[in-house]
Amino acid sequence: MKKILFIEDEESLQRAMGSMLEQKKMQILKALNGEDGLNIAKKETPDLILLDLILPKKNGFEVLGELKKDPGTKDIPIIVLTNLEGSTDIERALALGATTYLVKANYTLEDIMAKIESVLEHK
Amino acid sequence: MENKWYDGLNLRKICGKYRVSVLQCPQFLFLVMGLIIIVTVLAAYVAASAYDQPELAALSVLILASVLFVIGHMIISAFEKVALSSLSKSEFISIMSHQLRSPLSAVKWQLNVMLSEDAKQEDKLNDRARAYLEAIYGQNERMIRAVNDLLEVNRIEDRDLILRPTAFSLRALTERVMKNYEKFSSANNVQIGVFAQDDLPMVLADEERIKRVIEHLTDNAVRYSTKKSEIKISIKNYGDRIDWKIIDQGAGIPDTDKPRIFDKFFRSVNASRYQTEGSGVGLFIAKSIIKMHGGVIGFSSELEKGSTFWFSLPIKK
Repeated sequence: MKKILFIEDEESLQRAMGSMLEQKKMQILKALNGEDGLNIAKKETPDLILLDLILPKKNGFEVLGELKKDPGTKDIPIIVLTNLEGSTDIERALALGATTYLVKANYTLEDIMAKIESVLEHK
Repeated sequence: MENKWYDGLNLRKICGKYRVSVLQCPQFLFLVMGLIIIVTVLAAYVAASAYDQPELAALSVLILASVLFVIGHMIISAFEKVALSSLSKSEFISIMSHQLRSPLSAVKWQLNVMLSEDAKQEDKLNDRARAYLEAIYGQNERMIRAVNDLLEVNRIEDRDLILRPTAFSLRALTERVMKNYEKFSSANNVQIGVFAQDDLPMVLADEERIKRVIEHLTDNAVRYSTKKSEIKISIKNYGDRIDWKIIDQGAGIPDTDKPRIFDKFFRSVNASRYQTEGSGVGLFIAKSIIKMHGGVIGFSSELEKGSTFWFSLPIKK
């Protein structure tokens, strides 16, 4: 069973994503802030990480940078899932090593599942 | 309302439009500066011809030049104020859009789970509840589109729209978008058919943005189809480019409105008659996106018979 870590401070989004991943027979690991997200990623080495950018304790850019520097987590694909859409945000996230950048409001959960499956397939 | 040639001389009207005082209005300050330049030249001439001492003429020119310098500074400050106000407006739009998107995406995802196929199969929702939820989902999507349009116009005006091109199939993208339009089009008594050439090559473009262009053009074609009719979408390969075309049998565009159809906030009189909804930014956004891709966008239309909108994109080499 594939393990997906979702680092997101909004619990309702965590819940919705959890239901959808369960339907796809995937396991969800949840973190409500950047620091917890980093710890869980290092401990559990998930197959893929979904990462919000505006997070308490450590923001998404910091988390992304640290995960890509750590030899134990650098190869985990990371999908940035945020509502920020500024060109500097997108460029910065991709330069730090994000696999792809998706704007939450523009994607249905089914679309996101398709992206997750496609990234896992090409891993 | 038609603009008259003398409207450009009405400073009260022009400065009122900028919502700044007369002393901060660039047009007014520019006029004052022009008058002072004329007075300076005349004064220098009179002083130089009336007096023997050239020092006096030089002094009067110097004094008037100083006045010019002060007015020049006021003009620059007025422009600076306008530029700063535009910048803070852009930042405000960007922050507020993000704030709006967070609850909108939360609603979207919760509804996604409730309406997902699995929920249906397990019969967790009755038909009535499902219809209500679908209506909420539709309205939420409308709000997301409005926020996206607001952000997109802001980015186009700030020259901050950066494309992320990838190679993708225009046919597959079109079919995906049309799937989302099934309910909307049948509610409007319209049937959409996609006719694509076989073996179309990939285009190299920003898929997300081209999706928005297709959505805007399809949205218009469905909204302005006034009777039970068919909308045809054709995708053809022309060697170095792919042409995407949508043909409707709707209200059409009056000849007088055609030159302004891609202008920001412009809505044809005909459009407002058939549809109260709409902000008039869809075609402006579509044109800006296609131009940024090095493509071309255009249309032809006949009143009460329908319109054809098309764009072309370069093929991935």
